[in-house]
Amino acid sequence: METTDLELVERARGGDDDAFRLLVERHSRGIYRTAYRITSNSADADDVVQETFLRAYRSLHTYDGRASFTTWAHRIAVNCALDLLDSRKRREARHDSSDDLSELVSQDASPERVVLGAQMQRAIAAALQAMSGNERTAFVLRHFEGVPLEEIGAILGIKTNATKNTIFRAVTKLRERLQPFTGSAS
Amino acid sequence: MNHVTQEEIVMAYYGERFAHLDDCEECRTELARIAAVLDRVDAPEVPEPDADYESRVWQRLEWRLRGEKKRERRREWIRWGAVAAVVALAFVAGLFWQRENRAVAPQSVSKPAQSPNQIVSQQQNQQRQRDRILLVVINEHFDDSERILVELSNLKPEEGLDIGPERARAEGLLASNRLYRRSAEDRGEENVATLLDDLEPVLMQIAHAPSQVSANELRAIQKRVEAKGLVLKLRVVRANVRGKTAASYQQPNV
Repeated sequence: METTDLELVERARGGDDDAFRLLVERHSRGIYRTAYRITSNSADADDVVQETFLRAYRSLHTYDGRASFTTWAHRIAVNCALDLLDSRKRREARHDSSDDLSELVSQDASPERVVLGAQMQRAIAAALQAMSGNERTAFVLRHFEGVPLEEIGAILGIKTNATKNTIFRAVTKLRERLQPFTGSAS
Repeated sequence: MNHVTQEEIVMAYYGERFAHLDDCEECRTELARIAAVLDRVDAPEVPEPDADYESRVWQRLEWRLRGEKKRERRREWIRWGAVAAVVALAFVAGLFWQRENRAVAPQSVSKPAQSPNQIVSQQQNQQRQRDRILLVVINEHFDDSERILVELSNLKPEEGLDIGPERARAEGLLASNRLYRRSAEDRGEENVATLLDDLEPVLMQIAHAPSQVSANELRAIQKRVEAKGLVLKLRVVRANVRGKTAASYQQPNV
């Protein structure tokens, strides 16, 4: 029978590195996917995976088993990804970046000219870029991962009503950006 | 008729139930418009990592964990150093106390014998002196703890803030906190023991935090300090302890 995550956590707490390695091997791919959806970048997603497991290792003593290890580790991952987005935003602000991805869409996005597919994906990526870290995370978790609102609120450290409002703001931005494709005003 | 809000329509798309939508054509149309957009938003394609991904993650991580363990061992040494410092302090305090008693002893030797009352008084004096030392040391401990908590509470949560110095101080205080709590419990100082008990998890959280904390980690520490009202409690109990210490000095040795 396969060892459960909880058993591995117990063993890792006792200094068993092999147990922690198993946890890393079991969960790194899933965490990578979530991290990629939030950061939209492979290198950043890799960094988030590393930072997530490092933080998890330091905080193993606080894991009480009430949530599954997957949920707990994903919470850490989302926080790491948000931290990374914040620092990236600060870096970009310092360099006064003018290559806003949203420009890619708005220049030539009349419904007649666009070929749906690749350009639509670019528009979605641009819309995600235009969202704040919390908005993007809440939207990614709800829309792509189907995470319940309460769980998203717990991850972001906000109440359920605030979570709803954050998702609403994200959807509004998305509708604005996709308007040329869908013809639907917000 | 009160229509549902745009936010509610978005939530309806994600599965929340609104009875109004059953009866209102207008709101259902709006929901359909939003659904037409959101239905087309597929998850961005995630480049699938290669088959060796897990072992590469572990290799990179293992190297960092080794560094982590070294730091943990260093922290352990600091903790034990702090315990040793407390023990040494207690030893020195004991020596002072003995010397004071010896200075009193020749007078009592010249007397033929001590009455039971004198023996009781002498024991009371000894106890009072021990309590006085404990209170002075604990008051300093509270003072140091309060300073760390106030410093951290006043920091603006930003990414990568360096709290290394506060963390090292918290590590030192954590070891002595446990000793003082036990001593305070033994002497029936309930308020002091309770406060030390409240302080312990917060010191532990600070001591176990990374040197460079994220904004969220700092917020979590600040929330915990605030939720427990620790700074105020420390001030109140410190004032009480100071009062007690002063009172015990005013009480003449019998």
